Amino acid sequence: MKWLAIAAATIGLLLVPVLFGDRFVFVFIQMLTASLFALAFNLLWRHTRLLSFGHAAHFGAGMFATIHLMRLAEANVLAVPLPLIPLGGALAACLLGVVAGYFATVRTGTYFAMITLAVAELIYALGSQWEALFGGEAGLSSMRLPWAGWTFATTGEVYYIVLGWVVPAAAALYFVGLTPLGRLAFAIGDDETRVRFLGYNAHRAKTMVFALSAFHAGLAGGLLALVNENVNYGAFGGTVSASVVLHTFIGGSGVFLGPVIGAAGLTLLGALLSDVTRLWLLYVGAAFVLMMLYSPEGLAALFIANLRLWRELPWPSLVRLNLLGGLAVLAFVCTTVFVVELAARALTEGASATAVVLFGTTWSLSSPVTWAIPIALALAGHVALKAAIRQRRRLEDAVA
Amino acid sequence: MTSAVISLQGIAKCFGSLEVIRHLDLDVLEGERHALIGPNGAGKSTLVGMISGLIPLSAGAIFLNGRRIDGLAPERINRLGLGRSFQITRIFPRLSAQENLRIGVMARHGIRYSLFRPATAYSAVAREVEALLAKVRLDGRAGVVAGELSYSEQRALELGMALASEPKVLLLDEPTAGMSRDEADHVVDLIRTIAIGRTVLIVEHDMDVVFSLCDRVTVLAYGELIASGPAAEIRRNARVQEAYLGTEHVA
Ligand SMILES: Nc1ncnc2c1ncn2[C@@H]1O[C@H](COP(=O)(O)OP(=O)(O)O)[C@@H](O)[C@H]1O
Ligand SMILES: [Mg+2]
Repeated sequence: MKWLAIAAATIGLLLVPVLFGDRFVFVFIQMLTASLFALAFNLLWRHTRLLSFGHAAHFGAGMFATIHLMRLAEANVLAVPLPLIPLGGALAACLLGVVAGYFATVRTGTYFAMITLAVAELIYALGSQWEALFGGEAGLSSMRLPWAGWTFATTGEVYYIVLGWVVPAAAALYFVGLTPLGRLAFAIGDDETRVRFLGYNAHRAKTMVFALSAFHAGLAGGLLALVNENVNYGAFGGTVSASVVLHTFIGGSGVFLGPVIGAAGLTLLGALLSDVTRLWLLYVGAAFVLMMLYSPEGLAALFIANLRLWRELPWPSLVRLNLLGGLAVLAFVCTTVFVVELAARALTEGASATAVVLFGTTWSLSSPVTWAIPIALALAGHVALKAAIRQRRRLEDAVA
Repeated sequence: MTSAVISLQGIAKCFGSLEVIRHLDLDVLEGERHALIGPNGAGKSTLVGMISGLIPLSAGAIFLNGRRIDGLAPERINRLGLGRSFQITRIFPRLSAQENLRIGVMARHGIRYSLFRPATAYSAVAREVEALLAKVRLDGRAGVVAGELSYSEQRALELGMALASEPKVLLLDEPTAGMSRDEADHVVDLIRTIAIGRTVLIVEHDMDVVFSLCDRVTVLAYGELIASGPAAEIRRNARVQEAYLGTEHVA
């Protein structure tokens, strides 16, 4: 069953460029790199309980190193096959990870998070000043050079480079969790001091895990740079660091593939909805807040819990749970869309905004009815969700 | 002549203005089972913390086999052959019982930070973990996540982890605390077997355990050593009886 699912997913991923046009293949590339980035981030969090608020530093380092290597190849200084160049990005990020990780992991918890944040901000500030290395506002550009009969001119061809790196890298990250260092990292996440009384240098172990995480984050960045053929210092920005946190926690940080669900799902949704709204990040933020309030374990954990119930119980007993859950989600989605779109327009258009067209109806911004609706919806969602949670607990008790 | 394995020389510890250990000298001799007793708050756990590198000293020096160890990191002290258990259980709740012990055993096999094989693939380690599980009577619970073990099972695991690094010197902070009579008896038997060829310093409240298990006893009260000597002598010591043995059930 498990292997069947893996085989189906592999075939599906291989067929993407055959089945879809360039625009969509590009979205898939972003889904893959965002997934690898989130997996790398979660290596630190899920195992070692180190929450990095500055992982853009490593993602960006991978991007810039890759672009520099591509430019060297273009200038005939360096003869490296194009598909191998992102590895250089990963190594550069790993190097940064050893240094940044060494200092950041002296601390844990809030202080660790603050140090990672500061490192990323520092590099961001450097990026805006140091034109020679980071290319200023315009950033740096390069071109993919052909190799071994491949021109890499189409998005489809580059897609296979990305896929060829992301899948093995994800597998490697999974494997790391099984090795002595990976198990040790779990132990450190549980009780770092205890580990030291068993003869381990916890700081060294944390630095190693950090460097591994940075390596894979850099690989993800490098792959994206290879695809975009351009990067500017915005890659080090807070949005990048924040989005990997949101992706991971919405997807579910406690399950290996949770971050993939979050990263791939939200990237896909964002691309699909980019024509409809310019406020995607606000939606992700709202989803994150709701998720943390009602189900902090994330989507993957919800999915697994539900799957277990489907396996153990006859389906009619699950109708109620899923109906309630579905209603709650629907109510919250409507509330969020309503509030975000209305508020955004009221704020951007100021006094001139009097009416907004949404859901096929015109809403007056000054009417109390307009604002009562989302409040009522949110309340309904809350009630439905609480009922769903109660129902789920009842069913789980019945199973156990 | 037996020599001091642990030697505490004029050590003191203050937490702010609170003097928890006051200028204390103590030798723990090679191969002995040495009990550390005293009322709650006497400073016993603080003393164990100071020896094992958890709590920095305010004054004095600690020697392990003649080598000065105060100021060394806990992992360095562990690698010099000193292991410990904690009064308040400190296990890894997300790992299984088996994996908890494996972390301890791995370190001794030089595969601390290895990345090239799954942790389960080292057969020598696996064999030792099996044996250790059986020793602390957790062989039926190997795969259970430690956070879900019962209290006494967690205590057994705590002890197993102290044993996992096979230390020549073992500090046990109330290993039988909160256990049933039967469980405590088993732990005492276990300590008796593992103490062969090792030096054990054990903090214990149960006087039956202390006098049946230990060769020498040190009594601590308010951070001061009020008596130290052979078990039989301590049992007769009037000052000890007054200061501590009379109040043993309060603890
Ligand atoms: N970290 C600390 N900060 C302040 N006071 C402490 C700390 N640890 C222990 N103490 C105090 O030191 C005294 C001795 O504690 P402890 O060594 O745990 O006693 P025992 O193990 O003998 O019961 C107690 O009064 C306790 O409150
Ligand atoms: Mg104590």
